[in-house]
Amino acid sequence: MPGIFIYSEDSAIARQLVTAGLSLKAAVNQPVVVISLTSADTAGFIAAGADKVFDLHGENVWPEGYATAIGDIIAAENASVVLVGATARGKDVAAKVAATLQAGMVTEAQSVAFVDGQLETTRMMYGGLALCTEAVTLPALVTVAARTFEEPAPSAGTGEVVSYQAAVDARVSISNVCPIERQGVDISAAERIVCVGRGLAKKEDMALAEALAGGLKAEVACSRGIAEDYHWLPVERYIGISGQKVKPELYFSLGVSGQVQHVAGIRDSRIIVAVDSNEKAPIFQAADYGIVGDLYEIVPLLTAALSK
Amino acid sequence: MKILACYKWTMDEQDIKINSENQSLDTSRAKYKISEYDKNAIEEATLLMESAGANTDVLTFGGAAVKQSFKDVLSRGPEQAFYIADEAADSADAFVTANVLAAVIRKNGPYDLVICGEGSSDVYNQQVAPRLGSLLGLPTVTYVQKLELQGNRVVATRKMADCTEVATVEGPAVISVLPEINKPRIPSLKQVLGAAKKPATEIKIADLGLSAAQLTPKTTRKALKGFVMNRKNVVYKETDQAVNVAKLVASLAAEGLA
Repeated sequence: MPGIFIYSEDSAIARQLVTAGLSLKAAVNQPVVVISLTSADTAGFIAAGADKVFDLHGENVWPEGYATAIGDIIAAENASVVLVGATARGKDVAAKVAATLQAGMVTEAQSVAFVDGQLETTRMMYGGLALCTEAVTLPALVTVAARTFEEPAPSAGTGEVVSYQAAVDARVSISNVCPIERQGVDISAAERIVCVGRGLAKKEDMALAEALAGGLKAEVACSRGIAEDYHWLPVERYIGISGQKVKPELYFSLGVSGQVQHVAGIRDSRIIVAVDSNEKAPIFQAADYGIVGDLYEIVPLLTAALSK
Repeated sequence: MKILACYKWTMDEQDIKINSENQSLDTSRAKYKISEYDKNAIEEATLLMESAGANTDVLTFGGAAVKQSFKDVLSRGPEQAFYIADEAADSADAFVTANVLAAVIRKNGPYDLVICGEGSSDVYNQQVAPRLGSLLGLPTVTYVQKLELQGNRVVATRKMADCTEVATVEGPAVISVLPEINKPRIPSLKQVLGAAKKPATEIKIADLGLSAAQLTPKTTRKALKGFVMNRKNVVYKETDQAVNVAKLVASLAAEGLA
């Protein structure tokens, strides 16, 4: 019997995807089935509303090693839609499964629904410049980022849990697993952000941005080039479609030109302020308020005015 | 040792304008470029060629425009290019693209290492490398920030959201690289001139033995609309910066932010 399948190695994301799965179930009346790597979390999936949970067991050294087992289950159970958490690991597994099943896949969908009997998704393209609506042939895999949906309130579920023994993918060995130490705060959750770009001439000038951030009680972030090319700030401080997506009350940029990939990361900010010497810089199109001019002249004046 | 870097010849998204009346995209002035992360794939293949003495090819699947790409790509180091220039690329999704690339790799290979960028700068599906791995039956390591060859062994450091890990596989393998893995070189004039002498060989899609089903996209675009931000766009540009600063501070105060 066809079903709506859900997989994420991160159980919190899998529970969020149950919400999306239940809305698809309402449209096509197919059961919602979760594939779980964590036995302890299976009850949580039932409570979230799953009709069935496959509890995978196996000796794989990384979650990606379960791609074959996940593909086997999806094929044997005749899945129609497979929702996968869009983590790096999830996108990797989903694409491998899609290739094995010769199926279509949509990466980081923002919405997924049946429209006139067809599965329809929306996603960003061109670095966030455009929104693309696509129809996908079934069976289809759709990856969805964390927090796109809220997990359902737990209830007394009635779904069943089925144990499944997965084979081992012995081709890969994993070593040297190092947690990434976050330096300082998580800027994706910051209320106020001062963001520096290539308009800053040298690393010592970061002091200028830090002084302004002090006056505004803001965190300092940067555009991609500052982190990846200049290494003035750690990579988890760069904002953009491939970096952090922020939604502060105030986003204040200094010398950021505002390429589409950067703007895609700041578009949920409440107020956007830009200071840049180039009046034609795209950042001013994306800004609520701006000053055109030399940031080395403007920022000390601003810092003094805001620190009063 | 043979290495293949795959690349996509994409429209530069910075050149795409949004039509303010209907949010359609105006691509008429868009120039093409090597997809950003594929520059890192080409650079990594070239670095391995220089350090391990490998032969390095590049491969692309695109429309007729791909023929403009060889000078840029080959000036970055690779010895020869293979390309499929077919209008099927216009509507191709990652399913079709991976089927086509895998068929070429089977035909031209075997390669000891296939390197892709983590995703393309236009659609950023991030599917082609893991799909290639599955289709070719090769171990695949994605999101790699450091790559080392120890004989036949591929040692790849991956970066996940919360950790790094070292994945070791026996080659041949498929790898997708992150931009931080290297800094793509800027080709010298000599390298650009030298690129013109390197071969670029066309492969016809009809010669790949793919079925109609394998060439039919699974995803079809129904709409593409520019994302329009509604912002206040108040720009202060008096010559006296003290005036601008005072106005901005007043605006921030009015927004409850100063």
